[in-house]
Amino acid sequence: MKFDLSDDQALLRSSTRDFLSSEFSLEKSRGVMEHSKEGFDASEWRRFAEMGYLGLALPARAGGQELGAIELAIVQEEMGRMCVPGPFLDVVLAAAVLAAAGGHDALVRDVVAGKKIVVIARHDAPFAGTAATPLAAHGTRVRGTKYFVPFAAAADALIVTTADGLVLVDGPFDVTPLQTIDLAQRFGDVALDREGARLGPLTLLERVDRLGAVAAAAMMLGLMARSLEMTLEYVQTRQAFARPIGAFQALQHRMADMLLKVESTRSAVYRAAWCLDVDDAEAPLACATAKAYAGDAARLVCGEAIQMHGGIGFTWELDLHLYFKRAKTLEQHYGSTESQLESALAAAGY
Amino acid sequence: MDLQLTPKHLEFRDQLRSWLAANMRRPWREELRDPAATENGLMEFRRAWQKKLYEGGYLGMDWPREWGGRGAGEVEKAIFEEEMARADAPPILNTLGIGLLGPALVHHGSEEQRRRFIPPMLSGDEIWCQGFSEPGAGSDLASLRTSARLDGDVFVLNGQKIWTTFGPWADWIFVLARTDSKDRYGGISFILCKLDTPGVTVRPLRQITGESEFGEVFFEDARVPRANLVGEIGGGWRIAMTVLAYERGAMSLAASVRFGSDLDALAAACKAHGRTSASVREKLARLLVENEVMRANGIRTLANFADGKAPGPESSIEKIYWSEFDKRFRDTALDLLGPGGQLLRTSANARDDVDWAREFLWSRAGTIYSGSSEIQRNIISKRVLNLPQDGR
Repeated sequence: MKFDLSDDQALLRSSTRDFLSSEFSLEKSRGVMEHSKEGFDASEWRRFAEMGYLGLALPARAGGQELGAIELAIVQEEMGRMCVPGPFLDVVLAAAVLAAAGGHDALVRDVVAGKKIVVIARHDAPFAGTAATPLAAHGTRVRGTKYFVPFAAAADALIVTTADGLVLVDGPFDVTPLQTIDLAQRFGDVALDREGARLGPLTLLERVDRLGAVAAAAMMLGLMARSLEMTLEYVQTRQAFARPIGAFQALQHRMADMLLKVESTRSAVYRAAWCLDVDDAEAPLACATAKAYAGDAARLVCGEAIQMHGGIGFTWELDLHLYFKRAKTLEQHYGSTESQLESALAAAGY
Repeated sequence: MDLQLTPKHLEFRDQLRSWLAANMRRPWREELRDPAATENGLMEFRRAWQKKLYEGGYLGMDWPREWGGRGAGEVEKAIFEEEMARADAPPILNTLGIGLLGPALVHHGSEEQRRRFIPPMLSGDEIWCQGFSEPGAGSDLASLRTSARLDGDVFVLNGQKIWTTFGPWADWIFVLARTDSKDRYGGISFILCKLDTPGVTVRPLRQITGESEFGEVFFEDARVPRANLVGEIGGGWRIAMTVLAYERGAMSLAASVRFGSDLDALAAACKAHGRTSASVREKLARLLVENEVMRANGIRTLANFADGKAPGPESSIEKIYWSEFDKRFRDTALDLLGPGGQLLRTSANARDDVDWAREFLWSRAGTIYSGSSEIQRNIISKRVLNLPQDGR
């Protein structure tokens, strides 16, 4: 029994941290976030593919490395620490659906190679709740609108959820770009009226959704861990009343609580990832737990980081708002907190 | 990363499960519910149960065999606590002796002290209480004033200890006493004192639950043999810190099992009473999630033990987590159960699943004893986050 990462996993963490800090400095990423239309840089995307990150958790026949949820969590945590923009998780999850459906190996290989972008289009309404006019599928023809499709403007194909199952639809698409609080993940509404290819039943999403929940929680772990680090650095140097503000117990105790949330999220995320990898019976509850807890924890920790920085924390210039916004967005996606709480109740039989 | 118990540990767990099934008369909650149960009777019942566990080889799990322990490790100890919780086994009586003094003697005691005190501690023949807090020294424990003056081969004790858990039932007390009034930390010594020593008086204190599980202990020229000093004169603070690290140790796993079974009962009660609104379900779900996170923390600690890592100041995180969660959980339970949740065990119409009212009151203790939540946050600030000190 061992909670620490294996040597290979630790190596993945350190090499990912090196790769991201050399190629995805936050200064560079800010340029992409603020100025690029797609929300990510195409040449950087190819570097991701070259490094093998896109096929991390896929089978070898699909060009993947056959690693697991723990490895994906490690990469996601590191990406969270750097607040890396782009469709990484969206593409990884779509590729996992394609691989699970079977019969699309060529497409999956193109996705893994960074040549094609495929994402899942699942929201039938712009706000939570039931859609007024849900997207309709007639055989393999889909007609209607999908909302909040991640990186829709860059997608070559969409995996569209319908009441009868999953349909793969090729682009180009009629996309209405959306502006949200988060600069690191772009969304668009997509109007569809097109023939697609049937991929399989909605149950194909079950494991992928759990993987997505854990991976999103892992990114939130990275976001909050880095926000806490920045705060600890700041309170040691910022002086008020003739001493560093980190000497004040009013802040110390809140930072202790921030650490509690970061470390408890770490326990929950990696336990859930491990459960997924070994197919443990507790995986459904563990995954819902990780995502629901991480959502609350990340919002609180990233928010406290802004508070403790004072006025500078509220500026566009300081990076903290990028982390705070990313955390809030992740709370709603990859299974909102509300839906994860429902999943937890169902898994516990309550 | 590997969070699965090894075959050796699984075998230990399975043996323990069968042992508990064969040796437990009935779950603890049924013992408590017995109309014939009295506070004294339950204490004696716990003593007998402890003896049974000792004879079964399940106490002193990580202590060497030569002193009556099992010679196993922290992993077995954590599994033991988890299985006791799963079976709702009665608690042992000598929790403070085995939980706190035992580790102090194992790490700092003399060979003679170990042979003299550990076997009756394990068997329940000698019950211990802890003499740390004083009326003027709680969170600031090092300001304690109970004095131990050396007079030949005897220490003369004067002063008062308070919030002494099990004081009214104990035979012995381990005392932190001042042997040097000028040295704040280095002037504290760790001394064992029999409670029937002339000059020692124990008075029970009534708690908010109505029980008198703790008390106060007065020392007036109480004479204690020098041989009852653990470690060296002035070495008491270091021993106390060892002891407290054990007290805060791996509790999350067992706690999550206890909370989990109470949460199952709460969810069943809500369902049975038609309390299925969205707000009720969200409250249940949040408790469930928080408890699962605590379980993950516990599994992480267990895996770290198995990996040969001793608990560090991070154990303060676990202490804060379970004790603060306990308060939220018990408070929410009373909300979900309505007025009936506040019925005392002895009342008409009291629920027979969990003693919700007592648990609610009792949950207020966990964030105070064994280093309050505030002290734990100080420890984290200083020793984990390395924040500058003295800016109060």
